[in-house]
Amino acid sequence: MRSLSLGIEEGEYFVLTGPNGSGKTVLVKLIAGLLRPSSGDIRLAGKSIISTPPWKRHLGYVPQDGLLFPNRTVRQNIAFGLEVRRVNSKLRKARVERVSELVGVSHLLDRMPKGLSGGERQKVSLARALVLEPSVLLLDEPVSSVDEDARNILCTEIRSIQQRIGVTTIHISHNSQETQIVADRVGVMVNGTLRHILDPAEMSEVPVA
Amino acid sequence: MSRRQLQSESTRYGRSFDFLLAIPLAVYTVIVILLVSSLVLKITPSAILSAVTDSNILDSIILSFVTSLISSLLSVAVAVPAGYILSRNRFPGRSIVDGLLDLPIALPPLVMGLALLVFFNTSAGRWIDRAVEGGVFVYRPGGIVLVQFIIGCALSVRVMRSGFDAVDARYEDVAMALGANRWQSFIKVAVPAAGSSIVASAVISWARIFGLFGPIILLCGTIRGRTEIMPTTIFLEAQTGRIDVALVMGACMIIASMVALAIYKRIGGKTFS
Repeated sequence: MRSLSLGIEEGEYFVLTGPNGSGKTVLVKLIAGLLRPSSGDIRLAGKSIISTPPWKRHLGYVPQDGLLFPNRTVRQNIAFGLEVRRVNSKLRKARVERVSELVGVSHLLDRMPKGLSGGERQKVSLARALVLEPSVLLLDEPVSSVDEDARNILCTEIRSIQQRIGVTTIHISHNSQETQIVADRVGVMVNGTLRHILDPAEMSEVPVA
Repeated sequence: MSRRQLQSESTRYGRSFDFLLAIPLAVYTVIVILLVSSLVLKITPSAILSAVTDSNILDSIILSFVTSLISSLLSVAVAVPAGYILSRNRFPGRSIVDGLLDLPIALPPLVMGLALLVFFNTSAGRWIDRAVEGGVFVYRPGGIVLVQFIIGCALSVRVMRSGFDAVDARYEDVAMALGANRWQSFIKVAVPAAGSSIVASAVISWARIFGLFGPIILLCGTIRGRTEIMPTTIFLEAQTGRIDVALVMGACMIIASMVALAIYKRIGGKTFS
């Protein structure tokens, strides 16, 4: 990761794209607090979070492949963040059911992750992040493990949910079609730097590599 | 076509190859069966009665199980955090620590027993041993636990390190991003993920230490009613001509080992990654 400066508006859907190894995942992990930068600052609503550990940053993180905890049911996965924050069980249940309804995974709540499809896993992972009502949602290639036919449908659903709740979202993607569906703006990263920031419609005019 | 059908189809060719490779396996299996059955078949009902009515024998059996279970639990209590640190962290001197942890595994147990005996003859060792009146370790059951723990723990740490290596560290990243601090992500995510490795490390440690003989005799002797355990009982009974009682003890140890193996095969070794 080299010198990089990026500002994202509240409620914006920002997509980060670029070739493999360009630093997209590193940037998202820096924002999430899972990696520490050697220099620089990260500010959220004007306040520096660089010294804040990841568990206090109040961000929602959806990793590649979903990474659902295999020994917990879907309900327990979604409730995990509320459980560690010691939210009482009645409120926890209500919030889990509300967000499951929003994301469309209510029928999966008592299932184990093992039997879920790629798309279902990603939706549960999204619900797990949204239930915490984060200030920023970080999506690391959220549809990469989904088959091609379902990808655009899932992207449209994610975008619809994001517009409904208005959460600021940073989404990593390799796919231009996906980017066109969801993005308000697109950042193109190459070799650890942010090379371009553009409208989705301008993407075809700019070389990515 | 099912996976089983596919596998059987692929081995239809070159069966003579499989047959030749199976010969050493067959020979070794026959040796094991012959040894175990020759021991078990020699046991007589009168020998069993003699063993179960002898209070010294019963004390020896109880002491063996109690000390080995305590040592195994202590080994796991150390191995879980130690294995996690070795798996997840790179620190200066890590390779040295890693190598040192292999020593109790590689060294003959008798040498470890000798080292403990020498240590408890130093002023520091005597001070530690006499913390309680009458002594804690030398010629005491505490010494049995200590010897078993030192030898068993190294193996437990190895197993736990492999167990945590097999668990994807990204699960803990996800947990932290969801609000779990380091302790919570360790207890709620990493440890349950490595649960079957914890069972495996306890069983493997127990299997290793249950039959320890030489180092225990060196440090604790084999005092009837105080430090006599099953392996030393087998030795003493065989030496004094009571082979039949030694055989009963041997059969008990075989049964205990088979139960441990069954637990290991059922639960141990399954992690998620």
